[in-house]
Amino acid sequence: MRDKEVVVAVINKNDKVSSLKALTATALSLPGILSPIAHAADGDEVDFQYSHYQEGKRDISVSEVDGSSSGISGTKSFNPIEVDSLHGSARVSLTDRVKFAFNYLQDTWGGATPMATVPYLASGNRAIKNTADALTGASPYAIAGAGLKNLFLGSRSNRLFQTDRVDPNTGLPVFKNDTRLTHVLATASPETRKQGDFKLSYDWDNAAVSVGGGISIEDDYDSRFGNIGGRFDFNQKQTTLNVDLSYTNSYTHATLDHDDYTKKSLLPSRQLTEIVGESGTTIEKTIIHGTRQDWATHFGLTQVVNKDVLLGADFSYTRSTGYQSNPYKGVAIAFVDNNPDSNTYGDLPPGVFPTQIAMFTEQRPDVRNQYAVGGRYVQYINALDAALHFDYRFSADDWGIQAHTFEGDWVQPLGSGWTVTPRIRYYSQDAADFYAPFLISQQRYTLDRLVDPNKLPAHYSSDQRLSGFGTLSGGLTVTKQFAKGLALETGFEYYTHQGGLKLGGGGESAYADFDYWVANAALKVNLSALGNSGAGHASHDGHAGHQHGAHEPAGVMFAHTLPKAGDFMVGYRYMWNSQGGDMLNGTSPVSDQAVVDRGCTETDTLGCFLTPESMSMSMHMLDLMYAPTDWLTLMLMPQFVDMQMGMRGLDGAQSIDIIPNNLGHHITHHIQNPHETGGIGDLGMYALVKLFDNGLHHVHATAGLSAPTGDVDLQIRRAHANDGGYHDYGMQLGSGTWDFKPSLTYTGQVDKFSWGAQANGIVRMEGKNKSGYRLGDMFQGMAWGGYNLTNWLTATVRGVYTVQGSIKGQYNGSSVGQFFNPNNPKEETGFIRVNSQLRFGPQDYPSNYGGRFWDVGFGLSAVVPSGDLAGNRFSVEWLQPVYTDFNGYQLDRDGALSATWGVAF
Amino acid sequence: MMITKLTALMLLLMMAATLPACSTVQPWERGNLAKPQMALDPHPLQSSLRAHNYGSREAAAGGNAGQGGGCGCY
Repeated sequence: MRDKEVVVAVINKNDKVSSLKALTATALSLPGILSPIAHAADGDEVDFQYSHYQEGKRDISVSEVDGSSSGISGTKSFNPIEVDSLHGSARVSLTDRVKFAFNYLQDTWGGATPMATVPYLASGNRAIKNTADALTGASPYAIAGAGLKNLFLGSRSNRLFQTDRVDPNTGLPVFKNDTRLTHVLATASPETRKQGDFKLSYDWDNAAVSVGGGISIEDDYDSRFGNIGGRFDFNQKQTTLNVDLSYTNSYTHATLDHDDYTKKSLLPSRQLTEIVGESGTTIEKTIIHGTRQDWATHFGLTQVVNKDVLLGADFSYTRSTGYQSNPYKGVAIAFVDNNPDSNTYGDLPPGVFPTQIAMFTEQRPDVRNQYAVGGRYVQYINALDAALHFDYRFSADDWGIQAHTFEGDWVQPLGSGWTVTPRIRYYSQDAADFYAPFLISQQRYTLDRLVDPNKLPAHYSSDQRLSGFGTLSGGLTVTKQFAKGLALETGFEYYTHQGGLKLGGGGESAYADFDYWVANAALKVNLSALGNSGAGHASHDGHAGHQHGAHEPAGVMFAHTLPKAGDFMVGYRYMWNSQGGDMLNGTSPVSDQAVVDRGCTETDTLGCFLTPESMSMSMHMLDLMYAPTDWLTLMLMPQFVDMQMGMRGLDGAQSIDIIPNNLGHHITHHIQNPHETGGIGDLGMYALVKLFDNGLHHVHATAGLSAPTGDVDLQIRRAHANDGGYHDYGMQLGSGTWDFKPSLTYTGQVDKFSWGAQANGIVRMEGKNKSGYRLGDMFQGMAWGGYNLTNWLTATVRGVYTVQGSIKGQYNGSSVGQFFNPNNPKEETGFIRVNSQLRFGPQDYPSNYGGRFWDVGFGLSAVVPSGDLAGNRFSVEWLQPVYTDFNGYQLDRDGALSATWGVAF
Repeated sequence: MMITKLTALMLLLMMAATLPACSTVQPWERGNLAKPQMALDPHPLQSSLRAHNYGSREAAAGGNAGQGGGCGCY
């Protein structure tokens, strides 16, 4: 926008040459002329994007091992991978030439994904049935000789399975050849990844340099990266050269369950840490770790060919060294017994040898060099005012993977700010040299530690990503540009991965096919445009300060209305809440023994075994406000939440061995792996009605409705062939009920002082949610005061009292006993149906929720007084607990942090 | 690697062949090029999301290293 101001100034000189220069400057400042990094400089912008990735169900085979049947049947997989992602980004001009861009990304994913591939009739997936004998799930069951059925190897490496028939001539069993394969699927509990990165750039008239970096953190993988880049314009900006260099350092540290089926004995010892249990013999857990480094360089050339055509070419080279395997992927190896014992296998036809299948953790090479070249063609279509984008990329590496990508987009503006972009993409890759769906090794298997690695390839992986396949995807993006610099963007894409789509054929067979869809929605706020349209508004609105909420502490919601009809506000609100320290009963800290004895109240209780040690919750909220009339403000508040909880064992608890059916082993998992959940929370819709406003005092009432868009049925993955059951109530993402949220707010302001008070509540409008319970109602009263330290900075202090009821009802199916459902006739191992929630600690009991609390908040609020970002408000507040009276037994509170940003226009 | 070099060479040749053909496009003739639909990446927010999804499902180099993205180990 500054460029435009400069242009106007120049034109005012009435100098012909300057006008030409000015036009040139205008043209050059327009988006699209510059190189790909130019969109970092298209004006100050804040974007929010949410997306949902959903994989389709895969075809797998499952086996029944209850003794009554040994059937193998094909089925669709259960609970496929889902990913919820949140992306917030901000790009601002620090000066005319210095730009700063920041991104925050967060993904929460969970679900079933392939861990290995085995012969179809060996299955490897065990059926899970409910009491009505209906198939409700499958779990990996791949212990050599137990879960996996015996595969026999015939001449020409035919994959043979024994039938029930006997050859009448020889009296020997009849075998049939079966070449089908199936994935073994393993389910992961939800996990969250968070990434923050930045880019700082300096622009000259015909060049730019940038430096950036960031960090990505998840429970088992950290990644840190940095990059430098340059842009050089030649030939009156008809040619642009981009050069980038980047470095990434990633650390894998995957804690594997002690009952994990893949064997790690062939891994180099430097990648392995085994934690031995107290007994000194059993391995409690195994950690696979390794460091990886990536150096990448990229050259891009963009050329203006004529007034309607742009052409681009790219070259990139990436060198990766270090640990590049996926620690959770296994390779099934069939070990051939060339001298079978007839006591075990009976007499076999000549040339038929038994094998034993065992799974070993995959091993990829430590070095990878990747090259990619690409071309891009952008053509303006005059007749339709549209643009055609066509991209092609070829990539090759020294793992033997060559890949082609073709992509076409048609960007079609439709008028009134609407743009529709259909797109299609085709991708094809060869398999890596060391890829094999499963391996055959000519050695007899006894113990995994006795396997001779010299009779195996140096590297092996069955990861579908390294197989040969093709993918076809297509989608649509719809964008609506509103006045005042607001834009909404939504997109949908469907993607299908098929071995049969590989260029030239020879792809992996159909068992590995899968598909996914992604839907996303984004809100883009162009701050520069807002600044322009709002300039007059801000100057005439002298008391905009308190009206727009500069003085309310960050943690107060619904604290202000919009001043007049037609006003908008966009805001972002972040809240972080932490618990830790002692376990409390009511107001007092209690010993572990007290928690064991009284924290888990249930008939036939064995007491508590574990307790929360730390718990934190982050909420990202979008604050969208619009005033249709002077007295009414409507507000929409979508939320994205994520939670993490760590647990510890309780001193004085009974031995986990007394818990029937091996369920006690879940406790080990709970303690070893922090629980994580995340995704969309409940959607809030509010109407704020102005009741009184004389410039000094202001009163408004809010009526709100919270829609149950957050999940309340998140479960812990299976372990030890048993369901983990529901996460505890506090880890679910929403209330699951439609909630009424009324509030009454009073604010006042004189000179440098401001103050306010609010009463608000939450009333659950349904008896129970779909999981069988409802959260307690809540009432909150608060008062605050503020003092303007300067004309742009205000300090606030706040007192809050909260009463929250305990949870009513409980998870469906957890009504009897702590672990058992005696009404369930099926109690054989493998079919055991326990409570929907295994109740190991106080957090699993509805009565241990809610309480009465006093908190004191200290905050700062700032408003940008001038410049492009004038009117942007930032505030932050720390809420310190001063009094806690819990219902039942709960983990003490640490406090809560709130931070908000908002801009009205 | 043969194919890589060949393709790179082809692209360079293509660029080289195109460059001399470019008539000078004066800044005031760049109205169409300046339209949002002609941006090299008209939907950068979506592009980064899609690149992340492809990157976690395909083995090819995205040409986007140094941007993070995590393990994508699912």
